[in-house]
Amino acid sequence: MLRGVRRGTAWAVLLSVTASLLAACGSGSDAGGDLTTEKVTLRFTWWGADDRHKRTQKVIDMFQRKYPNITVKGEFKEWNGYWDSLATTMAANDAPDVMQMDELYIASYAERGALLDLNEAKKHLDTSNFDQKALATGTIAGKRYGLPVGLGMYSIMVNTDLLAKYGIPVPDDTKWSWDDLKTIGEQVSKAGGGAVFGVQSPGINDAAGLSIRARQQGHAMFDADAKVVLPQEIARDYWQYVLDLSKSGAAMSPSATIEKASAGLNQSATATNTAAFGLWWNTQLTALTAASGAKLKLLRLPGETQGKAPGAYYKSSMFWSVSARSKYPAEAAAFVNFLANDEEAAKVLLTERGVPANQKIRETISGQLKDTDKAAKEYLDTVPVSDPPRITPNGASTLDTILKRHTEDVLFGRTTPDQAAASFIREVQSEVDAAR
Amino acid sequence: MSALDELRQLRRGGVQVRKRDNKAAFWFLLPWFAGLVFITVGPVLASFALGFTKYNLIQPPRFIGLDNFARVLGDERLHNALRVTFTYVFVSVPLQLACALGVALLLDKGLRGLAFYRSAFYLPSLLGSSVAIAVLWTQVFGTDGLVNRVLGFFGVEGRGWISDPDTALSTLIVLNVWTFGSPMIIFLAGLRQIPVVYYEAAAIDGAGWWSRFRRITMPLLSPILFFNLVLQIIHAFQSFTQAFVVSGGTGGPSDSTMFYTLYLYQQGFSRFDMGYASALAWFLLLIIAAFTAVNFWAAKYWVFYDD
Repeated sequence: MLRGVRRGTAWAVLLSVTASLLAACGSGSDAGGDLTTEKVTLRFTWWGADDRHKRTQKVIDMFQRKYPNITVKGEFKEWNGYWDSLATTMAANDAPDVMQMDELYIASYAERGALLDLNEAKKHLDTSNFDQKALATGTIAGKRYGLPVGLGMYSIMVNTDLLAKYGIPVPDDTKWSWDDLKTIGEQVSKAGGGAVFGVQSPGINDAAGLSIRARQQGHAMFDADAKVVLPQEIARDYWQYVLDLSKSGAAMSPSATIEKASAGLNQSATATNTAAFGLWWNTQLTALTAASGAKLKLLRLPGETQGKAPGAYYKSSMFWSVSARSKYPAEAAAFVNFLANDEEAAKVLLTERGVPANQKIRETISGQLKDTDKAAKEYLDTVPVSDPPRITPNGASTLDTILKRHTEDVLFGRTTPDQAAASFIREVQSEVDAAR
Repeated sequence: MSALDELRQLRRGGVQVRKRDNKAAFWFLLPWFAGLVFITVGPVLASFALGFTKYNLIQPPRFIGLDNFARVLGDERLHNALRVTFTYVFVSVPLQLACALGVALLLDKGLRGLAFYRSAFYLPSLLGSSVAIAVLWTQVFGTDGLVNRVLGFFGVEGRGWISDPDTALSTLIVLNVWTFGSPMIIFLAGLRQIPVVYYEAAAIDGAGWWSRFRRITMPLLSPILFFNLVLQIIHAFQSFTQAFVVSGGTGGPSDSTMFYTLYLYQQGFSRFDMGYASALAWFLLLIIAAFTAVNFWAAKYWVFYDD
């Protein structure tokens, strides 16, 4: 493997030199020009599960019928492999033309010059039906590096079948606190007798729990200048809470928690009906309901009314981005336009990538939604939110893995919540600094 | 022209033919040689140069002198990765070689169906560093896995072996020990080389199994043991796939399976710090070279060459 890495590096150098030479004499189009009539092939990559692959391939076929001279080659992977592969193909100057991009990585790629400013391709890409606030989430320093695909919100998913089985009432989510969640979690665990637990603990897969608690107290993870401004005591309280969930028995044992949370959506505690409460995207309701076979309900986040501001916000579930080195930026933009604005395409894609950020499309598909999709949409339409946080800065795309490691250290007693908080803030800051 | 004629002609031809042979050899070697230069040597040299730069995989590398190498000293997570890797190497390699030698001695008894057993024991070596086996491992050692079911049968309560930082590395060590097949095959070949007369003479002199093993087998097998030791240590230092797959690429839980190579990979492809990753690659080369040198030096004191 070692040899593989070195090999990769040098190939990257070699290829980038060759490619820059080729690019100088290449015949690619420019983003603002007319669409070519020659035969071209675009490469398009996304992460996701089977359902997404099927829907996306259908839309690709529709696009190819509309533009017979453009072939779109789809490449799909699951989340982890996706970013490994994108990093290597980027380095080899072999990046796909169109890619599905995430909030966590968009700044890292944009600020290294890998993404096209979509404003340059205005001619082919209509953004008039998008909410300005949503559009802003994909914009860095005035340049549009990503077009938001769908919107999502964090929510607590509760398995009402389990609660009914144990005779525990569904909590009133308009005013519940984090402590209420812990208390009811303990009740469920007690009733579950070691087979079913109260809460799938946050802090393993992403930084959502921590970020929400910070926002509820009027703070944030980063300020506008990409400085880590998360107060240490908020991080400390967060890890203390995660530890308490584990110690009180509201959550599973540390190793079971990690195993379940790392195993992907279908093996998660929520999907396997082994925990009654879990922190999820509202748009994952459909997938989780299908996986668990139980009745799931979306609850508002705990602590929303006790704090200074709602922690909830509209997050772009993902973006469409175009490679800055694409030879066919105009055609790539036309394809993104099709994904984002075509009504027939939208009827295939529905809310699988989140509730569409394109408001016109959102209305178009509203008649076709399943009950769970409707519930997700209703959640988005009714739950109070505050302004979205700053985009994850360049260098901090390792945020989630850093958080996971600290949670593990806390859960296994290798560090205290206080030490974890200090170490986490220091490490994230140094990651951001290192990327400058 | 029959092969025999050809052979005769070759013999008669002398120097001239040999020259032609050399040319042919050159052409046959060329693909391999081109591969060596372009796929191995070039990149190796490039990585050396990149070690002195800050390189984020997309923008051009920027020269920063020895900064990357200086970082090695203060990087606590790297030190942890070294600790994990050393534990892995120095626990798993001796155990693996002991298993290999033990099984080779058993098979050397002239078992019926030897070919079958030899293949059966060798099989894990072929599979060991594959992704499939690593995936299998996560199932075997998971909370609901095979190991816990067997333990449960005996009334022992299991645990999440892979998701617990106290035991995660041990599962990888077991995986490496399990792939003892290739050193075993080499041991078997070595055992076959030891002249039977030595054992017969020793037996006549009244030597028991243990003293025959200690005074005949071990000394005569020591060059083979040495060879296996050097090879397996180098191999273990470079382990990557198992830890990558079993920990989902994170080296977790709590960095407990963070092999050096995995850390290097993360620096390059998750943190986009290919300059530091290149420096780490060269640092690993130095570590492996140092251990190999020590091995060769120590060999003077325990390896016996029968010539």
